[in-house]
Amino acid sequence: MVPWCQVEVLYFAKSAEIAGVRSETISVPQEIKALQLWKEIESRHPGLADVKNQVIFAVRQEYVELGDQLLLLQPGDEIAIIPPISGG
Amino acid sequence: MAARQEVLALQAEVARREEELSSLKQRLAAALLEEQEPTPERPVQVSPLPSKAALSRDEILRYSRQLVLPELGVHGQLRLATASVLIVGCGGLGCPLAQYLAAAGVGRLGLVDYDVVEMSNLARQVLHGEALAGQAKAFSAAASLRRLNSAVECVPYAQALTPATALDLVRRYDVVADCSDNVPTRYLVNDACVLAGRPLVSASALRFEGQITVYHYDGGPCYRCVFPQPPPAETVTNCADGGVLGVVTGVLGCLQALEVLKIAAGMGPSYSGSLLLFDALRGHFRCIQLRSRKPDCAACGERPTVTDLQDYEAFCGSSATDKCRSLQLLSPAERVSVTYYKRLLDSGAPHLLLDVRPQVEVDICRLPHALHIPLKQLERRDPESLKLLGEAIREGKRDAQEGAADSIYVICKLGNDSQKAVKILQCLTAAQVLDPVTVRDVVGGLMAWAAKIDGTFPQY
Ligand SMILES: [Zn+2]
Repeated sequence: MVPWCQVEVLYFAKSAEIAGVRSETISVPQEIKALQLWKEIESRHPGLADVKNQVIFAVRQEYVELGDQLLLLQPGDEIAIIPPISGG
Repeated sequence: MAARQEVLALQAEVARREEELSSLKQRLAAALLEEQEPTPERPVQVSPLPSKAALSRDEILRYSRQLVLPELGVHGQLRLATASVLIVGCGGLGCPLAQYLAAAGVGRLGLVDYDVVEMSNLARQVLHGEALAGQAKAFSAAASLRRLNSAVECVPYAQALTPATALDLVRRYDVVADCSDNVPTRYLVNDACVLAGRPLVSASALRFEGQITVYHYDGGPCYRCVFPQPPPAETVTNCADGGVLGVVTGVLGCLQALEVLKIAAGMGPSYSGSLLLFDALRGHFRCIQLRSRKPDCAACGERPTVTDLQDYEAFCGSSATDKCRSLQLLSPAERVSVTYYKRLLDSGAPHLLLDVRPQVEVDICRLPHALHIPLKQLERRDPESLKLLGEAIREGKRDAQEGAADSIYVICKLGNDSQKAVKILQCLTAAQVLDPVTVRDVVGGLMAWAAKIDGTFPQY
């Protein structure tokens, strides 16, 4: 049984609009594949599916590809979902 | 009596000066038009800037505060003087960016913008003034910059950057700054920079958020490495719809100027391969490490498929402007013009006008007789709102004369959300959640009302 931990998810730009929050704390397995972690977050906010292919997904302020890469999360880690903005 | 005479004299003086000002504005407009002639199909030819061996006495005085910085010094200043920067977009980002680059003594600034100055630009596009409303932004920006620093060569391009012109233009400049306001232009600028081998300093802002990155610098990723697929058009919010605070574009434009200056002076940028996020509401800056260059990137990868510039509006499914799109969700029979609605209103025919804009926009202006229920509430079938609407419909039926049609007219700012609301109301009546009623929307919304019916109604 993989232990779980609490991490903070930050939503930027369009993803904040979709999620309806700017940040939230969620509980996830400490060992989780990047895509699995995204799906965990998407299950809370299904509208995020619309922007899945256009976001920067960052763990501890570092870009992570939404694939099979195994993440080792620590309590309090920061997950960021960053869609591009194009205004100026 | 003396006071009265003074009032009259002052009134006469104000009138005289206003007349003088209006004649000056006309002369300025004519001069600007002259400056635009001849409008070249191809960008103005510019020759490379000659290298510079030493600073003049005037230059030493002017740039003295930055010359004494050891990181910049005379060496860096000489490089700035021979550097050229292409600024794509003379709006909220481009204005402060160009202002600081001109002040710092960058040799040549290319200023691209197809748009004209509007009053709603002035709260953030700080190079443009009231007197030049209606004039091309590229010329307005160039005029302001020349007043600021006459030694800087400003080359205005009052035309859209297109796949036909972009590559040629980008090749004439050392560094490119993307200050545009739409997705197709961002991909176009990126691909042109990759093809021409130019570093791209890219910033954007919306609401209280800003982002800045340097793309395609020294083996770093390009825009397509990070965002290979454009976002679906309906998920993109522009500044007109979403709003933006001028200071936020100002902060990002200044950060962009800093990156451009560091590249041009040979100090190297800070945000190559990383993305700086600015959250102006909370006052947070956050720097995200981006991915490295993508080996299979369509633009900068090992086997690029982008070998020349393509149709970016088709690629992104949206137009290369930040103007609001007009949706066509309803048939013509389900829509009325503002003129039609005005006649109906004047005739006293019983009906319900439903305004579906967000509360913040209703606070700006409203038609007093409208019932207000935001689209968002309708979308999530908010019980309170539906109760309110149901009551209004029943009340209308009571007041209506025998045989009179029960009609709802839905209005919003521009006539897009109103169509979505009509669709929802049609579903609700079909499902008998609401009493049977004919629902139509007003084409062009309240902005068409302001333009065609009531000149005193605010535009925003
Ligand atoms: Zn790339």
